[in-house]
Amino acid sequence: MNIKDLPEESLFTPGHTACAGCPAPAIVRNMMKIFGKDTIVYTPANCLLVFSGTYPYLAWRVPYLHEAFENTAACISGVARAYRKKGKKTLVVGIAGDGGTYDIGIQALSGAAERNEDVIYVCYDNEAYMNTGIQRSGATPYGAATTTTPAGRKIAGKLEHKKDMAEIMRAHEVPYVATLSISHPKDFLEKVEKAKETEGFRYLHVLSPCPTGWRFDPAKSIEIARKAVDSGMWTLYEAEYGEITNIYKPKKKIPVEEYIKGQGRFRHFTPEMIAELQKWVDRKWKRLYGELPES
Amino acid sequence: MIQKLPAKKMVVTGDYAAAYGALLCDVDVVAAYPITPQTLIVEEFSNFVNDGITDAEFIMVESEHSAMSACIAAQAAGARTYTATASQGLALMHEMLFIASALRLPIVMPVVNRTVAAPIGIWCEHNDSMPQRDTGWIQMACEDNQEVLDMIIMAYKIGERKDVLLPVMPCLDAFILSHTVEPVDAPSSDEVADFIGKYEPHAMLDPDNPMAIGTFTPPEYIQELRYQNHVAMENAKKAIKEVTKEFADEFGRDYHGLIEEYKCDDAEVVLITVGTVTGTAREVVDKLRQQGKKVGLIKLRFYRPFPREELRSIAENVEAIGVYDRAISYGSGGPLFIETRNALYGMDVPVLNFLAGLGGRDVVTGDVEKMYEILMKAKDSKPDKEIYWIGTRGVSI
Amino acid sequence: MYEIRFHGRGGQGGRMAAEAYALAAFLEGSYAVSFPFFGAERRGAPVRAFTRVDDKKIRIKTQVYEPDYVVVLDETLIETEDVLEGLKEDGMVIINTAKKPEEVRLSKPVKCATVDATSIALEILGRPITNTAILGAIAKATGRVSIDSIEKAIIEKFGARLGKEAGEKNAKAARVAYEKTLVGVAQGGKAFVPRKKWLPTVEEMPIGGATPAMETDAGLVGIGSFIENKTGDWRTFMPIIDKEKCIGCKFCWFYCPEGCISMEDGKASVDYDYCKGCGICANECPVNAIEMKREVRT
Ligand SMILES: Cc1ncc(C[n+]2csc(CCOP(=O)(O)OP(=O)(O)O)c2C)c(N)n1
Ligand code: SF4
Ligand code: SF4
Ligand code: SF4
Ligand SMILES: [Mg+2]
Repeated sequence: MNIKDLPEESLFTPGHTACAGCPAPAIVRNMMKIFGKDTIVYTPANCLLVFSGTYPYLAWRVPYLHEAFENTAACISGVARAYRKKGKKTLVVGIAGDGGTYDIGIQALSGAAERNEDVIYVCYDNEAYMNTGIQRSGATPYGAATTTTPAGRKIAGKLEHKKDMAEIMRAHEVPYVATLSISHPKDFLEKVEKAKETEGFRYLHVLSPCPTGWRFDPAKSIEIARKAVDSGMWTLYEAEYGEITNIYKPKKKIPVEEYIKGQGRFRHFTPEMIAELQKWVDRKWKRLYGELPES
Repeated sequence: MIQKLPAKKMVVTGDYAAAYGALLCDVDVVAAYPITPQTLIVEEFSNFVNDGITDAEFIMVESEHSAMSACIAAQAAGARTYTATASQGLALMHEMLFIASALRLPIVMPVVNRTVAAPIGIWCEHNDSMPQRDTGWIQMACEDNQEVLDMIIMAYKIGERKDVLLPVMPCLDAFILSHTVEPVDAPSSDEVADFIGKYEPHAMLDPDNPMAIGTFTPPEYIQELRYQNHVAMENAKKAIKEVTKEFADEFGRDYHGLIEEYKCDDAEVVLITVGTVTGTAREVVDKLRQQGKKVGLIKLRFYRPFPREELRSIAENVEAIGVYDRAISYGSGGPLFIETRNALYGMDVPVLNFLAGLGGRDVVTGDVEKMYEILMKAKDSKPDKEIYWIGTRGVSI
Repeated sequence: MYEIRFHGRGGQGGRMAAEAYALAAFLEGSYAVSFPFFGAERRGAPVRAFTRVDDKKIRIKTQVYEPDYVVVLDETLIETEDVLEGLKEDGMVIINTAKKPEEVRLSKPVKCATVDATSIALEILGRPITNTAILGAIAKATGRVSIDSIEKAIIEKFGARLGKEAGEKNAKAARVAYEKTLVGVAQGGKAFVPRKKWLPTVEEMPIGGATPAMETDAGLVGIGSFIENKTGDWRTFMPIIDKEKCIGCKFCWFYCPEGCISMEDGKASVDYDYCKGCGICANECPVNAIEMKREVRT
C-alpha cells in the first residue's frame, strides 16, 4: 500500500476550519480513504471536533457522533456492540487527541482495551490541549512551553517528560498497537490497512505536529514530523498481542537539537535542557532500537 | 431476542424486578457498573445473559460515566438500551445525562435512590436523583416492586413515543425496595413485546444513510433544540396518562398517570409523598380516617414532567397541603416543596414542607402522623414556619 | 458612547488590539469595554472583536451591530465580506493596506483611513504582527484618544506579556503608523452577495440536531456540507505549480491538509477555493515544482 493506491474519493471534505498547515486533516482524510464508507466515526471534544464541523456544516461523509471529551473508548464500544447485536459488520473508529487519550480519556480507553472491544481507537497527538488554547498534557514533551507550563523566569516549560502512551496500550496485549507518522506515507498506510483488517481492539497513535501550538512555520508540519522520527522523539513500531512485530528504524539519528530548532515552544531551551531531552530520547532509542549509533 | 417467558408470579427484590423488566423489554445493549444497592440489577442481568435467556450485549464498563456514554452511543446506533445506577454512580454520570436527553435517546435507567456522600452511606435518600432535575430526563418514583417492574415496561413505551423521545429514570428506594422481596406479577414476554412494540429510532448511525449526531453547534441553533426538548417533556404528560391507561387496560394495574390520589375527595388536608413513604402514609391515612379526620394523600409519581395541573385542581378543594421530601436544597427547601409551591402559584392555600428519612433514616408511621397533625393545625391557624425537620435531634417542630 | 468593530483573522491579535484600545481610553478617564466574539475559529479564520467607549459606566452587554468605526487588520477581508455592514452613516473605516484611501473599493463610499501596518510591523518588529501599529492609525484617524495614551496602553498590555523591550517596540510601531496614516474617502460600488444562512424554525430543525445531508435554500447542510465553506480567502501566499516540473508523485495530494489538490493528466492541480496557502505542498514537493507567491487580490 502506498500513496498511489489510495482512492481519489475523499470522505472528509475541504472547507474545514483547521489552522493552515495543520496536518490532522490530512491524517484523518487519508485514514478514511482506507477505512472506507462503511465506517462510523466518533470524535470527543478536541480541535478535530471543532474544525471538522460547525453546525449545520460538517466535513465528514460518514455517520458521525460526538458525545463528550473523556469517553471515546466507551462510546465506540457502545456503537460496536449495537452493530454486533444487529449482526451487521461496520468499522467503528474513535479519533481522540492526546488530552482525550493520555489524560482524561485513559480510564475508558483502558477499559475498552481490556474488554477487547472490536473498534479502532486513533490518537492524534499534538502534545497539548490545543482546542482550549495550548495547555500541557501528559503528552507534552519535557521543557516545552505551553500556556500552563510557560517559559517563566523561575520555571521554564514543562518539568516532566512525555508519557509513553503506546507502551501503556501495548501492555494491554490487544490485537494491534501501532505508532505512525504522516511523514512516512507507506508505513502510515500499511499500518492503517493492517488495523482495518485486524479484529478486536486496535490502537493507532499518530504524531500530529501543530504549527499553532508548537509555533513553527505551517509549511514545515510534515518536515517536523519527519525530524521527530529521525531524532527518536517519535518512534515507529507495531505490536500484536503485546509483542513488538515490526520496527521502523531511521537510517540516521539526528540530534534533538535539530528537531527542536524552529519550534517556538522550545525557544527558551538552555544547553542543559537540550541535554536532558537528549537523554530521554537516547533511553527511548536504546529500548526500541538497541545501541545508539556512533556519534 | 429473548427466550419466550411465560407470565408468572414471583417473590422478588426491587432490583430483580428492575432487571427482569429490562429482560422482558428485550433490550439490545446493556452497559452498567455496580454500586450498592443497585448491584443486584447488574448481577441478575449477567445471569440472564450467561444463561442464554437473552442475547443482549452486556458491556461491563469501567465506570458509570462510560456506562451512560456507551448506552447513548448504542442507542444512537439504533439499539434499545438499558443501564442502572445509584448515588455516586449517578453523580458521576451527570454530564452524560444531558447528552442522552438532548440527542433524544429514550434510554431507560432505574436509579436506586441512595444518599450521596459525604459522609458516605448506602441508605435511602433522594439527593442523588433530585439534582438531575434539569438534565431533561423523565423522572419518576416507585412505591413497590410491582410498580418497578411495570414502570420499566411503561418507561420504554413512553420514552420511545414519537412525540416524546426522551430517556426515563424510574427511581426506587435503596433497600426498602431494592433488597426487599415481595410478590410481583410478571406478564409474559409476548405480552410485553406486543405492548411496547419495536423501537423505531428517529435518527441512527448508519453508513447507508449517514447522519451527524451531536456536532459542535453555535448559538443560532441551540435555542430551537432546547424548545423541542421542552415540548417533548410537555408531550410526555399526555403520553404518561395514555400509557398508564393502556397498561391498566392490558394488565389490570392502574397507576393513574402522573399522580395517584388516595382518599382526597373530601379531604381538608393532603400530604404529597414520593417513593416508599407513600405506602406507609396510606396506612396512616386509613387510621386517621377511622378517627374521623378528613385527610388525604397524593402519591407523586413523576417529578419530571411535573404534574402542575393535577396539583392545582386538588389544591382548589383543600385547606392545607404538606409536601414530604427526602432531600434538601440547602438555602431553600425540599425539591418537591419548591416545585409544588411553584405549581400552586397564586393559590391561597398554605403549603408546608416535611423533611424526614434523610441519609436513610427510617420514616415510621409516627413521623407521618406528626406531619398530618401539623397540617391539621395549619388549616385552622396560620403556621409559624414552612419547613419542618421531622425527627431531627435538637430541632423543634 | 462610540463603538468600534475589529475585523481580523484568528492569530492576528485583533482581540488584543481591541483590549489595548479600551485600556488607552480608560487611561484618559473614559469607561471602556472590549470583548471578542468567541467562536471556535482556528488560526486564519475571520474573527471579530469589539470595543465600546463612553464617559459613564457601560451597561449594555450585546454585541456591536452599528459601529461608529470599523477596523480591518487584514486587507483580504474587505474582498470577501462587507466590512461596512451596519456602519453608522458618518462612520469611518480604518484599514491596514498599502493603498491610499481613494484606491480602496468598498460597498459604498465612506470616510476611510489607511496605513500600511504590515510593512511598519515588519520593519520595526521584524514580524507581520499588525495589531499594535493599527492602534496608532485609529488614534490618528478618529482623534478620539491621543497617541500618547495608545503608547502607554501598549507598553502596559504588551509589555506585561512580551517584556519591556517588546512593549516599547510595539508602542513605536503605533507611533510610526500614527504619523503615516492617510485619511480620505474610499470608493463605493463593490457588490457583495451575502452568504445565505439556513435558519430553521423549531419545526424545521431536525430532532435532536441529528442531520443527514440536506439541500436547503441556503445550500447543502449536514453530512459532507463543509464543502460549502470556501477557505481560499484565508490565503496570503498561493502555491503555483509548474506542470513541466511536476512528476506526478502525489506527495502534495497526500499531504495537503485541505485535500484541495487533485491530479489532472498525471499532474497536480490546486483548487484555490479551498487552499489556505500553508505551503506544505511546496515544502514537500521532491522536485520543487511548487512555488509560494504572495497573492494579489483585486
Ligand atoms: C469534561 C471536560 N473537561 C474539559 C473540557 C474542555 N476541553 C475541550 S477539548 C480539551 C482539550 C483537548 O485536547 P486534546 O485531546 O489533546 O485535543 P486537541 O484539541 O489538542 O487536538 C479540553 C480540555 C471538556 N470539553 N470536557
Ligand atoms: S491548533 Fe494545532 S491541532 Fe488545532 S487546528 Fe490548529 S494546528 Fe491543528
Ligand atoms: S509533489 Fe510536486 S511532483 Fe509530486 S505531484 Fe505534487 S507538484 Fe507534482
Ligand atoms: S498551500 Fe498547498 S498544501 Fe497548503 S492548502 Fe494550499 S494546496 Fe494545500
Ligand atoms: Mg492535543
